Amino acid sequence: MNGSKSLGLMLLTPAIVFVLLFFVAPVILTAVFALTNMSTATGITGGAYQVTQSSLRKLAESYGQAELANTLAETRYTVNEEGLEAIAADGADARLVAEMRAKLGGRSFEKRRDLESAIKTLNSRPRNTRALKALSDTFHRSIVNERFESADAMLRATTNLGVALSADQKSALADATYTGWVWTTQNFTRMIALPDTQRTLINTFIYVFATLAIFNTGFALVLSIATHYMPARPAGIFRAIWLLPRISPPVLYVLLWKWLAWDTGFLSNFLANFGVAPRNWLLDNPTNAWIFIVLINGFVGASMGMLIFSSAIKAIPGSLFHASEVDGASRWQQIRYIILPQLRWPILFITCYQSLSLLTSFEYILLATEGGPGGATEVWALKTYLTALNNYAGNLEYGYGAALALVLVVVGVVLSLAYLKVFDFKTMVRPPRIEQ
Amino acid sequence: MRILLKNFGKSFGAVNVIENLNLEIHDGEMLALLGPSGCGKSTTLFAVCGIHKVTAGQILFGDRDVTHVPSQQRNVGVVFQNYALYPHLSIAENIGFPLKIRKESAAEIKRKVHEMADLVQIGALLDRRPAELSGGQQQRVALARALIRRPDVLLLDEPLANLDAKLRLEMRSEIRRIQQETGITAILVTHDQVEAMSMCDRIAIMKQGQIVQIAAPMEMYDNPVSDFVAGFLGNPPIAFVDGALTGSVFESSGIRIELPSAAQRNGGPVKLGIRPENFQPEFPQKVSGEVTFVESQGRETLYDVRLDDGQILRSIQGHAVRAGVGERVSWGISPDNILIFDEKGARL
Ligand SMILES: Nc1ncnc2c1ncn2[C@@H]1O[C@H](COP(=O)(O)OP(=O)(O)OP(=O)(O)O)[C@@H](O)[C@H]1O
Ligand SMILES: [Mg+2]
Repeated sequence: MNGSKSLGLMLLTPAIVFVLLFFVAPVILTAVFALTNMSTATGITGGAYQVTQSSLRKLAESYGQAELANTLAETRYTVNEEGLEAIAADGADARLVAEMRAKLGGRSFEKRRDLESAIKTLNSRPRNTRALKALSDTFHRSIVNERFESADAMLRATTNLGVALSADQKSALADATYTGWVWTTQNFTRMIALPDTQRTLINTFIYVFATLAIFNTGFALVLSIATHYMPARPAGIFRAIWLLPRISPPVLYVLLWKWLAWDTGFLSNFLANFGVAPRNWLLDNPTNAWIFIVLINGFVGASMGMLIFSSAIKAIPGSLFHASEVDGASRWQQIRYIILPQLRWPILFITCYQSLSLLTSFEYILLATEGGPGGATEVWALKTYLTALNNYAGNLEYGYGAALALVLVVVGVVLSLAYLKVFDFKTMVRPPRIEQ
Repeated sequence: MRILLKNFGKSFGAVNVIENLNLEIHDGEMLALLGPSGCGKSTTLFAVCGIHKVTAGQILFGDRDVTHVPSQQRNVGVVFQNYALYPHLSIAENIGFPLKIRKESAAEIKRKVHEMADLVQIGALLDRRPAELSGGQQQRVALARALIRRPDVLLLDEPLANLDAKLRLEMRSEIRRIQQETGITAILVTHDQVEAMSMCDRIAIMKQGQIVQIAAPMEMYDNPVSDFVAGFLGNPPIAFVDGALTGSVFESSGIRIELPSAAQRNGGPVKLGIRPENFQPEFPQKVSGEVTFVESQGRETLYDVRLDDGQILRSIQGHAVRAGVGERVSWGISPDNILIFDEKGARL
């Protein structure tokens, strides 16, 4: 390797490290998580084995072992060596212990009464009922809600209960009671199957398309063209005003909107003058919620397009405007034939750039409606966040969330590549489009 | 269409660029606005076409007061100094733009564009973009665009400034030909006196927002009203000699010249203007000095002669070199063609 090559490599290292650390690694992790069923319940480290009500239900429903599940669910009384040693240690009569071992050893009883009546038939049975009760309690056996560190330990405990298991049953039981995460592709089949997904997809499209078309390019164009025809000072003030939403803290900014929309807020108070009943305009119905979401995002998003378009218009030589004026062009014709054609590339750029950033941004929706009312404004990125990182139910589904995020990553990368193709590198290094 | 500027004034904020300017351009005439950089030529032109709002006075096209008519409705064609072609449109679209704005039919536009392209001889370039044209070709496109809707007035702002010498020569006669063929009233802004003299019917000389003199080129050359005008016209430029006039005798420490009796003044300081072609070896009023500079221009040779008091006279003579640098010569001045100015520069 020659000198300049290694120097170049050295200079690139920080960028490579950055890309690996902040892009490639998270994407790979996301892909890995997406293939698991990790959640708050499973934890992200390994799990244990526990026979719970839900795992028994799973055993019955998913593994077809309803009978086994029932058996395990029952509380049982089993006379085994462990219990016998325990009563011996408690100071029970040695003859009683020996007799129980001989006559009842290895037998299981479904109910305490059954065990007690069996003990009553013994010669050296305890005389009083309290002693009898204490004795039978010692043989009480159940594995429900008990945690085992390994599958073997659990199976041994099951055998101890006196439940004999076939090989099939053993593996079914181990699977059903495992509390840790496992590898699975279920996240994706679930995503496709859920009607929710389609709804979220439509929401995302509405959000990106409406905000982009109405505000981020449309309104930005209107603003930049309007300010172009204004005298310099008012134009500057006007532009500065439209930058305010961008530079105000999002939480406060959304709070202002909420004040505006609340049932005791400005809008309700104002409309009360006209006999409109006060209501929460923001969450009152999906249409209103969408209007507010698009407004809230659009007022923030329009400023960037406005700046880019304004500077692009400024870069058009003044003589072109003069020429078109003496050629007879009205303002409207000037916009149509001079300004818009010269803004082709800035418009394309803003559309591409903003569609990507809208796709992944959900902070304003989160702050304003949290996806409500009833999930009507829940977009893909927000759904991902709520699924994986923050929800009321408390069970954070990392795996499913990662699968949702992965879709976003794939869409983003595909779009980026398509946009890069549109903005062909060759066109970037070509001489500027506005000549003279 | 006659153009009349009445008491026209223009200021940018506190900067007064033009004050109380009166100018009439006759119908079908081509007038040159000639003057040094920054004197207000473009400002005047932009006021005529309506790009700048005037701050005082009136502008009339024929009898129509267009002072407050927007440029869209003035029907003027303008060729801008940098051509201002629309970079995103093809040449045909550029030329046809004024017609498209008027919503003429596509067929009509096409026909007129071809007609116009033939007139300025760029028929083969119609599909290109402005960036793919040479400066001279762009200039013709700009001219075609200005002419296509038969404007009442054609304004040209230093249209030849960006061209090379040969092309400039070619375009000069081309523009003049087209202007005469179409009979259009035109104003040519320039700071090149050769351009003004060779192309225009009359010349208006401007200085600091004022018109100093308006006259036909040769009239102005022969009878400048001031040393400024005299100095502006003619290449190589006129030479000035300071001295005093007593009766009909001009005297400075270096020379003594008998002038024809036309101008008489007693003892006052004056300035003589002597054009290079009027300082020749065979002329009668001899003055002597030392040749300090010789420049051969091919067909002619230019000499600078330093008089004994240090003032310089210029002479332009035929092909043969008659004197070298450092040589003393005694050449003559033709007294009939001497221009006499007072100390403020006004012609006596
Ligand atoms: N927009 C403006 N604001 C302030 N001053 C201006 C403006 N435009 C022109 N001027 C001033 O007006 C004067 C005349 O300008 P103008 O462009 O008419 O000059 P010009 O004669 O065309 O010169 P040139 O030969 O260099 O083109 C100059 O002093 C210039 O600085
Ligand atoms: Mg100018």
